[in-house]
Amino acid sequence: MTDAPIPARPPRGIRLLAAGLMLLAGQLAFAHDAIPRLPNGKPDFSGIWQTLTPADDDLEPHAARKDAAPGAGVVEGKFIPYLPQALAQKKKNFEARETADPRSKGWTLGVPRGIYYPEPFQIFQRPRDLKLVFQFGHTVRTIHTNQTEHPDVIGDLLSGDSRGRWDGDTLVVDARNFTDQTWLDRAGNFHSNDLHVVERWTYLDANTVEYKATLEDPQVYSRPWTLGVILHRHREKDFQLIEDYRFTLDFDQYYPPKRDKN
Amino acid sequence: MTDSTSTRSRHRHAALLASACLLAASAAQAQNTPTQPAATPAPVVDKSIPKIPAGPWQGPRLPDGQPDVSGFWGPAFGSYLNLTDPEGISSGERQRNLPPREQRAPSRVSDPADGQVPYQPWARAKVQEYQTYYANPIKPEYVDPLARCAPPGIPQALYMHGHEIYQYPGYVVFLFDQGTRIIHLDNKPHLADNIKLWNGDSRGRWEGNTLVVSISNYNGKSKFGRSGEFVSENVKIEERYTFDPNGKRYNYEARITDPTVLTRPFTVTVPIRKYTEADKPRPVVYAVREAKHAGKDVIIEYAEERACIEFNSGHAHLPSGAAK
Repeated sequence: MTDAPIPARPPRGIRLLAAGLMLLAGQLAFAHDAIPRLPNGKPDFSGIWQTLTPADDDLEPHAARKDAAPGAGVVEGKFIPYLPQALAQKKKNFEARETADPRSKGWTLGVPRGIYYPEPFQIFQRPRDLKLVFQFGHTVRTIHTNQTEHPDVIGDLLSGDSRGRWDGDTLVVDARNFTDQTWLDRAGNFHSNDLHVVERWTYLDANTVEYKATLEDPQVYSRPWTLGVILHRHREKDFQLIEDYRFTLDFDQYYPPKRDKN
Repeated sequence: MTDSTSTRSRHRHAALLASACLLAASAAQAQNTPTQPAATPAPVVDKSIPKIPAGPWQGPRLPDGQPDVSGFWGPAFGSYLNLTDPEGISSGERQRNLPPREQRAPSRVSDPADGQVPYQPWARAKVQEYQTYYANPIKPEYVDPLARCAPPGIPQALYMHGHEIYQYPGYVVFLFDQGTRIIHLDNKPHLADNIKLWNGDSRGRWEGNTLVVSISNYNGKSKFGRSGEFVSENVKIEERYTFDPNGKRYNYEARITDPTVLTRPFTVTVPIRKYTEADKPRPVVYAVREAKHAGKDVIIEYAEERACIEFNSGHAHLPSGAAK
């Protein structure tokens, strides 16, 4: 061994591998530096986001329907692990979806549905929290990132109570204290007020975020399950949210008072 | 399902009612002891509109250069019950004894000098009609849009409940219980005229200590208060938020121009005060709680949900079943 000649240069394979590794490292460094960051160094998710998937039509794999584009599904393992009774409820929801979907009344979408609903939402972020303003319903969800915890006493909330922490450059959010009044999609997938969501937000590049949500709900699911979508940053010139108070459309013709015609 | 929302709705309105009663009680007290020096003076509420001159900003700034005005704010006095007589009788309320007008808070209308909205006669008649039928809304147009969970709109949102100002480079965001206003500071063009919005479309700029906001695309559907004042979808509103560098106050001014309902423009002025960790939480105006955390410092966070949480609960100010 000691007598073996030391090669003047590494074999070609090793050289290629090293070059590849250096390239990869360079790209990682580039990706690391290229994402928007707050002055404190944490990733800054501020911006206007929307997914391109038909997740809101149905989280599970589905062929085209009259009211839904086809989709391969966004659930890891394809299908939501419902408990038997909950599966029966889901089927009822599906049959009644045209009128029973809270979205059809313009109600708050909740978590995680607001994230992959096919309308944009805007994030404003500072070190202590993120505000998520959803175009649909124009509601606001706060994710606290200041080392605070879920309150001991709190009512059920449409968007739950969200506390975030950083796992490297990934924002991990623990959300709980939900009502049972929101659905997960237009196909009647649902949850109870025992819902517990853990989200993971990770930049893939400066304009793309990978979003994953793990849902746990012992009243409805036999085990925790995970869905994932990709969020894209809106970069159209002068793009902005346009409030969508759809629930006001049934009565907005009564206002403001009009001058009587006579 | 309905129970939880209506409970929360009742909670919010009960709080409002409680503060209204408080207001009524202090008004009654003022009425009963008009001349005697008070032995135990009631808490003094400053109902004046402080002078805050427009000028350079001397206070703290955010890293992007904006004056730092983030935090919780709320009207210095009164609520949204009555625009021109904030401590007077509001629509649907029973008559009660009031102190003389000059002892009550001034009209929120600062121009014209008489404190009244310069309505065209037909529009004034509509306001009176709304007030008459407020408690017994025999037509859908007499139901307060607030009771249908619509946002309070402009300028009502500024004096209805408290609000939070949130800043990000290029934006000032006003967070109300219902209704969020995103003020764009980048001078992007307004949306097309045919898009009408409950919160309008806002463009702002900082002029020293003053945030100047021009609003277009306003749908005119919100009232200015329970007293029912309104404008049309042709309104243009220019707002000035003039911040005291001491960080404790700002004055809100809205110049409202609408040839469809007005004989001339008018101005709404609302003195606003800041709420901080030193203040006790107050229902509605300063709806916050102490956050739970391992550290020792006090962290205040908003305790409500900024969404229409009152759906399914009927019209909050009416017996259930009324005015479907």
